Amino acid sequence: MNKWEVFVMDMSELAEGEDIELSIRTLNPGLHKYTYKRVKCQVSAKPDAFPDSLQVRMGRGQLSASQYSIKVLAEVQRLPEKYR
Amino acid sequence: MSKISAPKSNREFIEACVKAGDAVRIKQEVDWENEAGAIVRRACELAAPAPFMEKIKDYPGFSYFGAPLSTYRRMAISLGMDPASSLPEIGKEYLKRTNSEPIAPVLIDKKDAPCKENILMGKDVDLCKLPVPLVHDGDGGRYVGTWHAVVTKHPVRGDVNWGMYRQMMFDSRTMSGAVFPFSDLGKALTEYYLPRGESCPFATAIGLSPLAAMAACAPSPIPEPELVGMLSGEPARLVKCETNDLEVPADAEIIIEGEICPDYKVEEGPFGEYTGYRTSPRDFRVTFRVNCITYRNNATMTISNMGVPQDEGQLLRSFSLGLELEKLLRSQGIPVTGVYMHPRSTHHMMIVGVKPAYAGIAQQIAQLAFGSKLGPWFHMVMVVDDQTDIFNWDEVYHAFCTRCHPANGIHIYKNTTGTPLYPYATPHERKYSIGSKVLFDCLWPVDWDKTNDVPTVVSFKNVYPKDIQEKVLSNWTAYGYPEVK
Ligand SMILES: Cc1cc2nc3c(=O)[nH]c(=O)nc-3n(C[C@H](O)[C@H](O)[C@H](O)COP(=O)(O)O)c2cc1C
Repeated sequence: MNKWEVFVMDMSELAEGEDIELSIRTLNPGLHKYTYKRVKCQVSAKPDAFPDSLQVRMGRGQLSASQYSIKVLAEVQRLPEKYR
Repeated sequence: MSKISAPKSNREFIEACVKAGDAVRIKQEVDWENEAGAIVRRACELAAPAPFMEKIKDYPGFSYFGAPLSTYRRMAISLGMDPASSLPEIGKEYLKRTNSEPIAPVLIDKKDAPCKENILMGKDVDLCKLPVPLVHDGDGGRYVGTWHAVVTKHPVRGDVNWGMYRQMMFDSRTMSGAVFPFSDLGKALTEYYLPRGESCPFATAIGLSPLAAMAACAPSPIPEPELVGMLSGEPARLVKCETNDLEVPADAEIIIEGEICPDYKVEEGPFGEYTGYRTSPRDFRVTFRVNCITYRNNATMTISNMGVPQDEGQLLRSFSLGLELEKLLRSQGIPVTGVYMHPRSTHHMMIVGVKPAYAGIAQQIAQLAFGSKLGPWFHMVMVVDDQTDIFNWDEVYHAFCTRCHPANGIHIYKNTTGTPLYPYATPHERKYSIGSKVLFDCLWPVDWDKTNDVPTVVSFKNVYPKDIQEKVLSNWTAYGYPEVK
């Protein structure tokens, strides 16, 4: 199980039941903690709907009380080829 | 100029601070995740000695130095002055040095440059190999650049720019930063690189000598490598980058080289800011792709922790913004007695002392101040006369509350340049960096009769004859009062 975190301005950004794109950061312990990935995913407001957990923070860093879960479907590569 | 002996590197600076009792060596292990940030924050809020954290969890061989210039004592040490120097003395010295002849930097050989002791290229490049701290809980990321210089060069004019623009680690090879469009780098990006779709080479230097860092956040028109020379009285030592043509401070602890992408943006923020809040919205901002990292053995990462007063964001920026405005006003022949920003104003209020020589002088000052390159960083100008001590808030506040006419003395300027950082600004204004400004004119109007219309200040100094004042002063303890220091 992985732990992820996302920043949103509004909870409606976490639409359930559809594929959405988010920038999420890993909360797994280790040197890479807090680094981001852009992903295609599904999220749920039920903490146990998917194996990975998703913690939510609001626009100014406030921790939301709601614990989501997330299924990462694919990593989205936005970085142009020339920089890779 | 008499010989200046200022610390030439971050290491010399730490030594000088420890010796003066202005830094503490922390031997026990400190966590990069929140703990180091919390130590720096508390040190700032208590104006305590700077923490030199020698052991960092997960990062053997690295250390942190926090709150480098968040007291006037450490600012005096950085300039090679007596730590007990007063603020006006430090300001005078800054003006003297920055009005002297520019001192060009020297380029040294790579083999003599400490910042080249370790070089990571290609697949080895990973920002997570550096002890990038999570400065405040709830920040948008770990911040690589909080006390540093982003080095760039204008592609046509060739001007070198060192600017302190915060940089967040997005992933192992990507950083995003708050480079505002009115900054030197912001202008180079919008006027040249972005329209052409060309990437802009950059190098971030961390763990600079304190005067190099001071130059990187000074709003001075003098190119920073020369400005460092003027401040320290000797040429800055630079060395060529590994992957681009830029030159970086050879004695810096860490150098991160790469390119700013014109066609790729990632999110930055939120982050604790100098206003004492987390205000600016998380947004897609200027994005830096990293190609190479070089660092000294046992490198020290520097941390400025922005929040409520007082940290470098308020103390140092208030200092240099005020003095640069003083230079500008003097260059226009305005008879100012001085300019001061109280750090507690989070560099939002300029207090200007002036001889009220002609009508409209306060408006002239405000228009120059707000219209200058410094303008976006503050929104209040308060103009007091030459009898008011601008460094004494009690006097300034008294002048403000008694002389500023509510209908005639307050002038509002709308739709000016702002920043997303202003806590009072509406969400719309923050998004588009729209500002507004106010002048508090605390001068007696020039068309009032000086004898009959201008009120007399009723103070011990002002209303009693000299001989009575002297008698009272010399008898003060005889009356039964303790001596006044
Ligand atoms: C600790 C610290 C952090 C700063 N962070 C930023 C920043 O993120 N963005 C910015 O535009 N200016 C920032 N500043 C202010 C700039 O360093 C300052 O405006 C400097 O003069 C560079 O701007 P210029 O390019 O206009 O010369 C910071 C200053 C300090 C002391």
